[in-house]
Amino acid sequence: MSVVLVAATASPVVREPRDDGFPLSTYPMFASKRPTQMTLDYALGVTATGERRYLTPRLVGSSEVLQAMQVIHRARATRSLPALCEAIAARVAGDDDYADVVAIRIVTGTHDAVEFLVRDVIGREVERARCEVPR
Amino acid sequence: MNRLGRWWFASAPVERLAAVRIFVGVFALAWVAGRLGELAAVARLGAPHFRPVGVVRVLDAPLSPALASGIAIATALLLAAFTCGWRYRVTAPLAAAGLLWTLTYRNAWGMVFHTENLLVLHVIALACAPAADAWSLDHPRARATPAAAGYGWVLKLLLAITAITYVLAGIAKLRIAGFDWLAGEQLRNQIAIDNLRKAVLGDMIAPLGTLFLDHPAGFTAFSIATIVLELAAPIVLLGGRIGRIWALSAWGFHAGVVLLMNIWFPYPLLGLAYLPLLPAERPLAWVARRWSAWRAGHPR
Repeated sequence: MSVVLVAATASPVVREPRDDGFPLSTYPMFASKRPTQMTLDYALGVTATGERRYLTPRLVGSSEVLQAMQVIHRARATRSLPALCEAIAARVAGDDDYADVVAIRIVTGTHDAVEFLVRDVIGREVERARCEVPR
Repeated sequence: MNRLGRWWFASAPVERLAAVRIFVGVFALAWVAGRLGELAAVARLGAPHFRPVGVVRVLDAPLSPALASGIAIATALLLAAFTCGWRYRVTAPLAAAGLLWTLTYRNAWGMVFHTENLLVLHVIALACAPAADAWSLDHPRARATPAAAGYGWVLKLLLAITAITYVLAGIAKLRIAGFDWLAGEQLRNQIAIDNLRKAVLGDMIAPLGTLFLDHPAGFTAFSIATIVLELAAPIVLLGGRIGRIWALSAWGFHAGVVLLMNIWFPYPLLGLAYLPLLPAERPLAWVARRWSAWRAGHPR
């Protein structure tokens, strides 16, 4: 039994390293070469005065950041961003922490991560969907 | 028996393996029970988001949310039986199968996480082993006739599984990025991008996530230390002082990941990944002695 479990756990080594799986993983996280510039889809809250509020991933549909990102990405791919926007708006309407949010924008943003984090430089954002928060 | 066999099957106290079963079982139970809401929310995402991996590849379409939640609840109950060692030969394999299914299903929605792999593999290994021969409902005291192969091999197997996961992570970095990964810039970029994602998706960025980003050269030491730590993981099998030093270093690595990326690997951070190295039976034996003393002082 030891041999079987050890061999199974080690078996991903013969796979292509990006061919990830669960629970037998190649553990490719943090391995890929990446530039600091990144384009990603995300949802923003907009207050009555036009300020932006970042929305916790739970409001998108998963408490995990990466899974929430995939939810938005896939909704964009399947042209269902308006429906996702409405679903997020409905959740925001029921969350007192976001009582000041009056609208939801789903955008594709391109940022330089170091500039964004260290110098608060917001990159280019393209709006993909917008909806009002039902109050 | 050859030397390798004698080393692999070297004896260990039955209570040590039982303690590992209890600690790992409690963690697995808390992990699943604490995520029932999350599992239910993910199960409602719908077919367009379903990307089956692992054993869940047997499905062409997602299960109904009610069924997915029902399996998760049943898994939690089975894990309670696993932890208590109740009818272990039946409940432990079922608990392991339930955990494998439930957590694989959670990973089948577009994003494969790496925080739960070791937990699943350890529960599977424990479920196949005589880990309830003491401190269990089946055997409250150690069995009069110990398992023929003893108990030490299970602890070694758990450590071997832990070590392999680290080695695979090191190999993946070198296969995907080559030795460029050691220069530090890629690690810096990964940390920056991960924190950017967190920032725009409304999660907390890491406490030290922005501190070193302007100084990519400083990440060279982090990168080299990471690769050395991962590829050297098999030394944990030597046990003793050197094994514990490696385990402490690995724990420090995970603490660093929290500080730089706010990514939590609770299983190793709580020490469970390295528990078979330690006299895990001692804290539970202390509790058992206190309980016995209290009972003796309070006869019914």
